[in-house]
Amino acid sequence: MGCFGVIRAEGVTKIFGPDPESILPLLKQGKKKEEIQRETGHVVGVNNASFELEPGEVFVIMGLSGSGKSTLIRCINRLIDPTAGKIILKHPERGEEDIAAMDAEGLRHIRTHEMSMVFQHFALFPHRTVLSNVVYGLEIQGRDKKEREELGRKFLAMVGLEGWEDHYPFELSGGMQQRVGLARAVATEGKVLLMDEPFSALDPLIKVQMQNELIKIQQELGRTILFITHDLDEAMRIGDHIAIMDGGEIVQIGNPEEILVNPRTEYVANFVEHADPTGVITASTVALPFKAPHFEPAGEEGGLSYYVRHGYPDIRFGVDNQGCLQKLVVNGEEAALADLDEALARERTGPERRVDTTVQCNEDTILRQVLRGRAFTQLPVIVRDTEQRITGVIDEPELIHGILEKRGYALTEEAASA
Amino acid sequence: MNDLVPVLGGFLSDPFDLIDIPVREWVTEFVNWIVATFREFFRTWISPPVRGTMEAIQWALTSTPPLIFLAVLFIIGWRAASWKVGLFAVIAFAFVGFMGVWYELMITLSLVATAVLFCLLIGVPLGILCSRKDWFYTGMRPVLDIMQTTPPFVYLVPAVMLFSIGNVPGLIATIIFAMPPTIRLTNLGIRQVQTEFIEAATAFGSTPRQILWKVQLPLALPTIMAGLNQTIMLSLSMVVIAAIIGAGGLGLEVYAGLERLNIGQAFVGGIGIVLLAMVLDRITQGLGDKGPASRAKKSE
Repeated sequence: MGCFGVIRAEGVTKIFGPDPESILPLLKQGKKKEEIQRETGHVVGVNNASFELEPGEVFVIMGLSGSGKSTLIRCINRLIDPTAGKIILKHPERGEEDIAAMDAEGLRHIRTHEMSMVFQHFALFPHRTVLSNVVYGLEIQGRDKKEREELGRKFLAMVGLEGWEDHYPFELSGGMQQRVGLARAVATEGKVLLMDEPFSALDPLIKVQMQNELIKIQQELGRTILFITHDLDEAMRIGDHIAIMDGGEIVQIGNPEEILVNPRTEYVANFVEHADPTGVITASTVALPFKAPHFEPAGEEGGLSYYVRHGYPDIRFGVDNQGCLQKLVVNGEEAALADLDEALARERTGPERRVDTTVQCNEDTILRQVLRGRAFTQLPVIVRDTEQRITGVIDEPELIHGILEKRGYALTEEAASA
Repeated sequence: MNDLVPVLGGFLSDPFDLIDIPVREWVTEFVNWIVATFREFFRTWISPPVRGTMEAIQWALTSTPPLIFLAVLFIIGWRAASWKVGLFAVIAFAFVGFMGVWYELMITLSLVATAVLFCLLIGVPLGILCSRKDWFYTGMRPVLDIMQTTPPFVYLVPAVMLFSIGNVPGLIATIIFAMPPTIRLTNLGIRQVQTEFIEAATAFGSTPRQILWKVQLPLALPTIMAGLNQTIMLSLSMVVIAAIIGAGGLGLEVYAGLERLNIGQAFVGGIGIVLLAMVLDRITQGLGDKGPASRAKKSE
């Protein structure tokens, strides 16, 4: 993805109050946020937050209001000065720099050239036209008028606002205003984009539209994005990694599926309980592993080894010596094997589900697509790894269990035996 | 014991008789000292720029042919507010001209313009300073209260002692009296700029100076214009008082008319002042409502 600066936060802590430094030892002793507030009147905004942004990823910090996520993102570009901790910016030429220890001049350079920000309530300057809002950062960079207007028009077109250059922000809808906010932030060509609940103030429909557009722009520009939200579905949709915050602390970091399948604390579990798993969980998570004791040998024939699922002798899986599924025999008759995406593209699903064909999907196919496959055929869906070897089978019990419990049978069984 | 009774009785019946704070003497001595020490300084350093500015404006206004003046006035009213305001301004000024006091109107306008100019030159920077330094604003507040509430008659005499009679002491008194709204509303306008705009400007790497010029002042402009409007109105209210110590124009018409019990002459001056006030008020209000910042505020 090229080489650009990335962020690493190490033990970032922010305490509000008359003497924040004096509270640090108390936090080290493990005193609770509530105790500190009651005894000293200091408010712990962020406690010991550490995370790292990989190049070109969308890193989402998610938490409810008061969890400290807005404070944390403001520590990254020092709109708020952290009480303790380091914020390392990895720069291709200058190496590692600690933003937390930077003087005003260095900080201005970082803000002008390396990082920009999108705000929850847009924060567009009401006295400036749309174009002149977009070029604000370029103006501060000291670029000449012609160059910055050229760039400004380019980025306005990118967010789909060509022709709105000379309007004022108050003449635009909320969604359009945030497009301007986005264009203003990407126009500086900084490597890191900080987004503080950018879509929270928008209507649900516009919100989804903006999320898709952000993903598109992100793929086009390859910026590294730190994104704040209180909306789990939003976090799951756009996040490569998600950090969950509670009471000023990061309680879990992982990719969306890890968070959903394996919530580490009760707080996270409560959070993900109502999340829609079908867009996040992958086939390999819910599939029944193609191995003993779930599957047992059922003879050999024509160079293939046959297996049946424990308790279901009617469906026989014929596997070659590479581990690839070659034949599926249902009640003595051979069923066709089709690729899931191709089958769905070729044929519309209807009330008549196929009994003579089954579909094969990949390990990272999302649950939603597997469900569509099961609407196409009554037979179990086959899961393959990248070398086309069968690794698991998804039948109705696995689907139901996956949607309800957000995890596979195998995992549940492991948990029960442990 | 017996000696105490009359003292106690006296204290109960008139408690303020016991102690005498000689403020009268203090102020008299203080003013005398100021006048003796600073008269030269004031007359050489403060008088000339004020007088020079006033005379330049006065020359420009009185030497402009009235018809051209009215045409320019219409354009200003139209551009600043609406064609209706432009038309109203022309009719009002023409009416004053037909009453026979056009020249006096021009003199008063130049006095007001000079006072307002100095109020802006001094008041806006002070207002900016107030908005940035809390300690300065804390110190400034009682000064502003004194400037606004002390009856102007009280400092007319020291002004005359410092500057001798004529237009200049009147102008100085007017500037002191009319400046507080400019300072107060510049301060208020800048403080009222929402933090999200300051945050956004900071996040893009602006220096404090860039934030002031690119964000705070433009967004505070409607409020600063409201302060300018009040400053103009206050300085108009001073023109009659300034006439007492030798300022000319419509104020002198009123003052002279009253002195000679010529009610008609006084009214002509009075009507002229009222019409001038209305015209200046409509034009400056129009200016304040025009910018995108105030339009944005209205659409919220």
